[in-house]
Amino acid sequence: MAESWIAPLEAGDPERAWSLFLERYRRLIFGAIRHYAQDYDDVMDVFARVCEALRENDFRRLRTYAAQPLHHARFSTWLVTVVRNLTIDWFRQRDGRRRLSAVAEGLPVLQRNIFEHVFLDRHSHAETYELIRARDAPTLTFRQFQVELRATYRAAADSRRGSVMRELGGHLSSDSEPERDSPAENDERRSVIAKAFDALDPADRVALQLYVVEELPAATVAGILGVPNAKAVYNQVYRALAALRSHLERAGIRQDDL
Amino acid sequence: MQSDSLDPLRGELERYVGRADNEGEATTECLDDDTIAALAEGTLAPAARAAAMPHLASCHRCRRAVASVARALADPVVAREVSAIDRGGRRRFLRIAVPLAAAAVLLLFLGPWPRNGWIHRGTVGSGQGTPVALTPSGPVSAARVLQWTRVAEADRYRATLFDAEGRLLYETEVTDTLVALPDSIVLRPGPPYLWKVEARIGWNRWSASDLTRFSIAGGTPP
Repeated sequence: MAESWIAPLEAGDPERAWSLFLERYRRLIFGAIRHYAQDYDDVMDVFARVCEALRENDFRRLRTYAAQPLHHARFSTWLVTVVRNLTIDWFRQRDGRRRLSAVAEGLPVLQRNIFEHVFLDRHSHAETYELIRARDAPTLTFRQFQVELRATYRAAADSRRGSVMRELGGHLSSDSEPERDSPAENDERRSVIAKAFDALDPADRVALQLYVVEELPAATVAGILGVPNAKAVYNQVYRALAALRSHLERAGIRQDDL
Repeated sequence: MQSDSLDPLRGELERYVGRADNEGEATTECLDDDTIAALAEGTLAPAARAAAMPHLASCHRCRRAVASVARALADPVVAREVSAIDRGGRRRFLRIAVPLAAAAVLLLFLGPWPRNGWIHRGTVGSGQGTPVALTPSGPVSAARVLQWTRVAEADRYRATLFDAEGRLLYETEVTDTLVALPDSIVLRPGPPYLWKVEARIGWNRWSASDLTRFSIAGGTPP
């Protein structure tokens, strides 16, 4: 479908182009921002930032898009992607450590530590666990840690920051994680799993990462992978897990060891 | 897949990916917004997808962006706005196309006919630049597939089916030159239907076939 704002932009009437663009896409921009942030003031501030960013450098983003001879995605999806990036950047820049810390103020000590490691220092969950155990809680088991981690995520998600916290933090591991033995054994096992995982076909790795780790619906993963349907994703994930299991068994790690 | 007595490997996998994939700054290898958007909406061409997959497997930043945009697109508010934009576009198309079609019909019947008949300036039905709707056309016994001619420079086609009142019944984009109608589209015998196909031949350049009329035999024509 023709984008009505392109012709005036290319004809040297950027304000007319901007007016047409906003008329058509203002509600979508707001909708995309509200997906990540629920606070009214935040939404309005991010909207202003999105408009500013799209107008920067004589509408560079829009001009670049319009000048490309071929596009893979619909314009509306490209715009949602741009808005997503600008929204996440805006929260990162504005909140920084001080304002995000306000979310953690009401949390118990352990959850506050977890919050700071995951959301402020941007450590992975595994790194956070190791750091907390090394510094503050040497007897903390990984299972206990996961319980606290989930509680921290719930507290963050319930805050006024809403779902943008998910973007700023890491992903949440499942409850099925067993307790570990010694750190050395953990590291060795992790190394073997890493090698097995890296040996998989890239598409299988993406399937596992999106379906298992990101917890996207199988139908969505199917679209991303370009496979016919959700069932094909299930099959791909099962095959990849089976390949991993086989690789680990050859390395001497049985399912019972996991 | 249900959660999960399935596999203790899940826990290990989550743990491993979480450790290996700390999100960093974008690199020159990172996917551009258009590719991330196309992955999220599931429209990336096979060759481009195959090229993107190794990076997506190793880059948490890009993978998270794809997952994030896919979630945003599934958000009912966002989906509703996208749908409204699409409907707006179609309304604009119909506002322009219907009067144009009416004017063309008037010109056909009222305009001056050339003395020596019509002279074709190009090869009719060559498929060059403009797709030609092949089937269904006119009265047909059934219509489960829309088929058209290939356009050499096109990388994508958009097929659109309307009922006699111009209401959109179905629209899809494909890279092939035919599309099977889903079972949810039930075409009744009798009333006419219209369809067209547009070929994407460049940035924001779509070349459209004529609106083609057909009807399913067995009913009473209006």
